[in-house]
Amino acid sequence: MGKYILKRILFFIPTLIVISLLAFIISINAPGDPLSRMVSATETSGEMGMNQTNTQNEENRWRTKLGLDLPVFYFSLTTRAAPDTLYKIYDENEKSALKRLIIEHGNWPHIAAWHSALKNLDKAITGISPDSTEINIFGRNAIADTINKLKINVNNLSSGYSDNLIKAILHEMKQNAAQLPFLEDIKEDIEKAELNYLAILQNESKYLNYIPSINFYKYNQYHRWIFGDGNWLTGRGSKDCAGLIRGDFGYSYETKLKVSDIIGERMKWSLFFTIISIFLAYLISLPIGLKAAAKKNSLFDRTSSVVLFVLYSMPTFWVATLLLMGFANTESLSIFPASGIQPVTGIPEDADFLEVIRLRLPYLILPTIAYTYSQLAFLSRITRVSALEVISQDYIRTARAKGLSDGKVLYKHVFRNTLLPIITVFSNVFPLAISGSVILETIFTIPGMGQQIFHAIQTNDYPVIIDVFTLTGVLTLVGYLFADILYAIADPRISYSNNQ
Amino acid sequence: MKKNNTQNEFSFRAHARKQFRHNKPAYISVYILIFLAIIAILAPLLANQKPLYIKYEGQRYFPAFSFKNNYVITKSDGSIENIQLDIADWKQMDHEKVIWAPVPYSPGKTDMLNTGYKGPGDAQLFKDKNGEIIEMPRRFRHILGTGSLGDDLMAGLIHGARISLTIGFISMTIAAIIGLLLGAIAGYFGDNRLVTTRGKFWAVVIGIFVGWFYAFQTRSYILQDAINASGFNLLFQLFLSLLIFVVIIIIFILLGKLVGKLPILNKRMFIPADTLISRTIEIFYAMPTFILILTIAAIARPSITNLMVIIGLTSWTGIARLTRAEFLRIRNLEYIQAARSLGLSELNIIVKHALPNGMAPALVSIAFGIASAILIESSLSFLGIGVPSDLVTWGSLVSDGRDKFSAWWLVLFPGLAIFITVTVYNLIGEGLRDALDPKQKK
Repeated sequence: MGKYILKRILFFIPTLIVISLLAFIISINAPGDPLSRMVSATETSGEMGMNQTNTQNEENRWRTKLGLDLPVFYFSLTTRAAPDTLYKIYDENEKSALKRLIIEHGNWPHIAAWHSALKNLDKAITGISPDSTEINIFGRNAIADTINKLKINVNNLSSGYSDNLIKAILHEMKQNAAQLPFLEDIKEDIEKAELNYLAILQNESKYLNYIPSINFYKYNQYHRWIFGDGNWLTGRGSKDCAGLIRGDFGYSYETKLKVSDIIGERMKWSLFFTIISIFLAYLISLPIGLKAAAKKNSLFDRTSSVVLFVLYSMPTFWVATLLLMGFANTESLSIFPASGIQPVTGIPEDADFLEVIRLRLPYLILPTIAYTYSQLAFLSRITRVSALEVISQDYIRTARAKGLSDGKVLYKHVFRNTLLPIITVFSNVFPLAISGSVILETIFTIPGMGQQIFHAIQTNDYPVIIDVFTLTGVLTLVGYLFADILYAIADPRISYSNNQ
Repeated sequence: MKKNNTQNEFSFRAHARKQFRHNKPAYISVYILIFLAIIAILAPLLANQKPLYIKYEGQRYFPAFSFKNNYVITKSDGSIENIQLDIADWKQMDHEKVIWAPVPYSPGKTDMLNTGYKGPGDAQLFKDKNGEIIEMPRRFRHILGTGSLGDDLMAGLIHGARISLTIGFISMTIAAIIGLLLGAIAGYFGDNRLVTTRGKFWAVVIGIFVGWFYAFQTRSYILQDAINASGFNLLFQLFLSLLIFVVIIIIFILLGKLVGKLPILNKRMFIPADTLISRTIEIFYAMPTFILILTIAAIARPSITNLMVIIGLTSWTGIARLTRAEFLRIRNLEYIQAARSLGLSELNIIVKHALPNGMAPALVSIAFGIASAILIESSLSFLGIGVPSDLVTWGSLVSDGRDKFSAWWLVLFPGLAIFITVTVYNLIGEGLRDALDPKQKK
């Protein structure tokens, strides 16, 4: 048995690698720049009047903290023309412009020179300081306008790749510089940039784009996400991130909180509803399924089959909405509150346990019904089918033959063996607890994991999504293993030793 | 004698068909499904604000069938009227003769006079030819009421059927193609029947790599530009990429045949097809599919096509699993052995002999799969993810009703529509399962 479990756990590894990779690929290709969001979140949270350099510093700080300054994966397939350090350019527009230039011209050294010339030009423009006579002649505002325009021009240059556009902008800038004396200082820089650009055009090596090249990166974003930024095995020396395998799930882009804290906070409600509903579903469906099987083709069997089948085919969101309409409708029948899990005023701190239950209960009933019903139909059908199979076995006939009452046969002999397939359903508790039910929690506004996931998806909060995704995968696997072990315990005929 | 013989001959297919016919709910379901499909196909004729036929200013038009955007009409007094087909107020036109669609409204189109949830029994208003606002004439009543924007619910239901059925059908077609193919390969070849040489294997692996590089990587910007330009160009560029990919792989396969004759590289190699595919299926089982679909749908541009592809790509596992099991059984049957010993190619055996017999279990899974695809789509459009916001689907109608609980019709009718469709598919699936189950032979 121990050997079997170990083997199963070893088999987890490839599955989990694939699942985490899939989650990672999705998050990497997702739109939106997390950094600008995290930084703007700080700005609004108090420190007003943050200037540009401050924003930049803040961005850099979060970039290192989130590991976004690293290459994406262990290897990348590029062309000979592209350098293996392109990931170090953070600005998305600049990066795609550079990639474009590489595709069109294929000579990275010259393109890099052009890129750095543009950086210098930008710096030079920032450093322009017109003297007083010039200010008198041109006016302070006009000068500021010109400088702004130049900056925009440089920006367009570094995110542009079309030949005509670049040449036109360069030409315009040169004319400007020739006319306005206070631009004397940057004249040289503009000319340098232009020379660099011409060098790109003169030394094309397009053929490099057709030679594949693989770059390897030992330390990258995926590695950091899984293993942290310290030693991958021991975790020693890690600063910002200990890695998924050590329970560090990183930060949420939306709230900047640790994802593990969010999960811990949100999980309890999903867990609560999952456990309660599964318990109730078992309580209701087992007797129904057994009775239906015991009296096959009776009126009870047929009606319960039809009713359960109908339940099974109803969309959950519809049932939940109908429940709300029926029982939480302020315009007709308002027995239960329509949303949330506690009164708006909150629960008084000095309330004792009974008081808390009294206050909360009305909020919990409708969601519990909705949660339970979705399990109910499925469970009863499984119970019926497996009980039918058991009833036709010889040992049941034997039990009947030796004179046991119907009830005794049913609950003592049939029931036990019926339990087996039901274990499978129980193994779903684990993954459900962490992923919750997106639909039900959204409809009833329950602050559980499902709602959190929905919110994360809407706000592109990818760390939350990929962590929940991977964790659900882990827990599903654990659930299956758990179920298999339970099978072996419940049924001595099942054995996982090697002599099968 | 001969007659007797044919009577004794047992045809499983005929038996299954008979069994299915005996299953009343399943049999009735098929008819309901056909009915739904007819509604879906005829949707633009059943619910349309444009008249099917109109005689206006002495000329005959068929606006509902027209592909034009506008009619330019020269009136009798010489003035010119430009009628935009989709926004014209057809109901106020001074027409000589007109034939309306059974439901004279289009889905999602605002009816200014009946906004804000008008129920089926509520008083509804109508603007007549003279521009006077009167009580709704019976012919133009919103039979099932309206939504928040005054959009006709019945029209939404009819057009929603189109979307739901298409999603179910196309996504399961994608899933069935993948599932049948992989399941057949896994079951038929097992772990030790797919034999190749070392040289050929590595040639193909390198070929895929090289093909990917030249077909997609070096052309990435061309493809990206095509995506932004969209339409025909994208299809053409994608086709070109695929062509390059296939050509390179074929070259490498041929190369592999040559290389496979060299020493060392000519060693035989078994490809563990079954293990690989079974593992992949297990991985899919461990994945929270709904969250995956939700996430991808949120990232991708909202469109029905994307949804169909996403659902299709994530729901093939059941089909593959059942097909695999069936092929494991079939591959040892005599007729397959016979075909093999006759020297037929493996592809030929799989497609012509094994697949027709091994598809039955997959059919059950496909029927259930369509039901769950429809459920997934309606859940997604209920949540407002992945479906264009201006598209009216059954799920989005329910979602509209969620904002106002007294608008019971908006929740009840679309929900019923989803429920009936899903039930019909589930019943057909059940019926197929019972009919195809050899244990139930009587």
